[in-house]
Amino acid sequence: MIRIRNLTHIYPGSRKVAPHVAVSDLSLEVREGEFAILSGPNGSGKSTLFRILCGLARPSAGQVSIAGFDLLTEPARVRDVLGVVFQSPAVDKQLTVAENLAIQADLYGIPAAEYLARRDEALAWTDLGGRLDNRVETLSGGLARQVELAKVLMTNPRVLLLDEPTTGLDPVSRRNFLEALQRLHHERGLTILMTSHVFSEAEDVDRVAIMREGKLMAYDTPQALRAMIGTEMVVIQSRDAKVLAGRLESELGLTASVVGDEVRLAETENGDSLPLLEKILQRYRPDIRSISIKQPGLDDVFVRVTGAASGQE
Amino acid sequence: MSSLARVSLSLARREMVRFFRQPQRVIGTIAQPLLFWLFLGFGFAGSFRIPGMENVTYLEYFYPGVMLMLMLFSAVFSTITIIEDRDAGFLQGVLVAPVSRLAIVLGKVIGATSIALIQTMIFLAAAPVLGLSLGLGGVVMVVGGFVLAGIGFSTLGFLLAWGMRSTAAFHAVMMVFLMPLWMLSGALFPLDNVPTAMKAVMLINPVSHALEIIRAPFYAEPAALLSDSHYLLALAISVVWAVGGLALSMIRVNRREIGLAPKVS
Repeated sequence: MIRIRNLTHIYPGSRKVAPHVAVSDLSLEVREGEFAILSGPNGSGKSTLFRILCGLARPSAGQVSIAGFDLLTEPARVRDVLGVVFQSPAVDKQLTVAENLAIQADLYGIPAAEYLARRDEALAWTDLGGRLDNRVETLSGGLARQVELAKVLMTNPRVLLLDEPTTGLDPVSRRNFLEALQRLHHERGLTILMTSHVFSEAEDVDRVAIMREGKLMAYDTPQALRAMIGTEMVVIQSRDAKVLAGRLESELGLTASVVGDEVRLAETENGDSLPLLEKILQRYRPDIRSISIKQPGLDDVFVRVTGAASGQE
Repeated sequence: MSSLARVSLSLARREMVRFFRQPQRVIGTIAQPLLFWLFLGFGFAGSFRIPGMENVTYLEYFYPGVMLMLMLFSAVFSTITIIEDRDAGFLQGVLVAPVSRLAIVLGKVIGATSIALIQTMIFLAAAPVLGLSLGLGGVVMVVGGFVLAGIGFSTLGFLLAWGMRSTAAFHAVMMVFLMPLWMLSGALFPLDNVPTAMKAVMLINPVSHALEIIRAPFYAEPAALLSDSHYLLALAISVVWAVGGLALSMIRVNRREIGLAPKVS
């Protein structure tokens, strides 16, 4: 659905600033109906990639096709099927919700006869009922985001691009927004590509891409990415973490570190942690408040993938 | 309705709604030229004499010029919103929509010109007070002149604002570039007794010609003007200014940020 081939983007620079390679020979495909997340540290080139995908910048080299249309030669066809949610909401804060939606209908040529039905259908995905005549500037950040989502949904896009849409939202608004997105993905079969820093958002998606310095470092399912690390960790909560850590080191010869009231043992190969946990539990039962095996999170994968690259240079 | 018209009018209507929701902006853009006109008009009343136009008071002389100034201010303040729109994100949303790039330019220009026209019409109502009279033909010609000047100014503003990132920079450019264009148009003083170099600037300045086609209908019959080569030349230059401005603005919007071609190695 979104096919990126050998994409390179070089910012021209100026007399004082050298040209800067923002995206380097990147290839990536998001298949129809997939929900993919694009992440990477600041300056990794994901914003540039996003600008190229929504047609705001022309790449130096490479091809991009969206829904079968070439972005460079048929940008108008791509705009027809594309819905974009930007980091800074593309709504006019001085206008009311209804006025914003009416402008969107004009921009996308929605027939007047269909307008109200499509508007109401789009609004059903949001919590904006009854707020149609409120100016957007009077809405909370979460609701303002939803205006944008309604705006985009009204145009029936086949592909949805979102640039860090949950930035600045409180946890409840963030969850509501993501839930709506997940439901859209399942019920409408939308293809979604979203950039995000927040890895808790990535756990439920189909694929996660990690970029660094303009290159694609990893692109796989969250499960496969976690397996890539291949390790797990025993974590113990104890009344006196320091004492327990000392005993584990001297008596069992383990490497332990203390974080707050937690004792963290060195990472082990997958499967080795369970016997270790049982052994520790037998010997130190009275000192242990809780003990568990921690799977690596996607943020661990992120640190590993992006950190490893800097080591190689 | 064609999609070009629908999108342009929708974006233009947005400009109007925003404008009228900010009463300060409405008052500011009318009050400033009005004060300018009254203060300078009465201030220079005793000392201002134009050879050959001895019976024209300064208040009357400055009248078309001050309306043109209102046009300039209004168009400039309308196009400054391009920078705000880009900042706030609204513009990006329009750019990724399947709309003709011309519609994006037209929306801004129609909006800006309409807002300016509404304000100028209020000023135009003062004409009888000055003893000036306009027939229907004259009104059509004056309003036509305002429309051309409005398009000219707002496309100039559009071209300047499109690449800018801060409204402060836009204000600076307006003071050193747009205001002088207006000052050297004959709005404040006649073109006759100025140094030759300045006169040359005034002649190539499209604003002078826009002023000419706005001032002339107050003093001549429409039929006479349409056979006056002087007037027709000014009209032609104003049309070129407006159409050229629209064309350049569209080219500017079409120009996307392009990555540097990779070196072949």
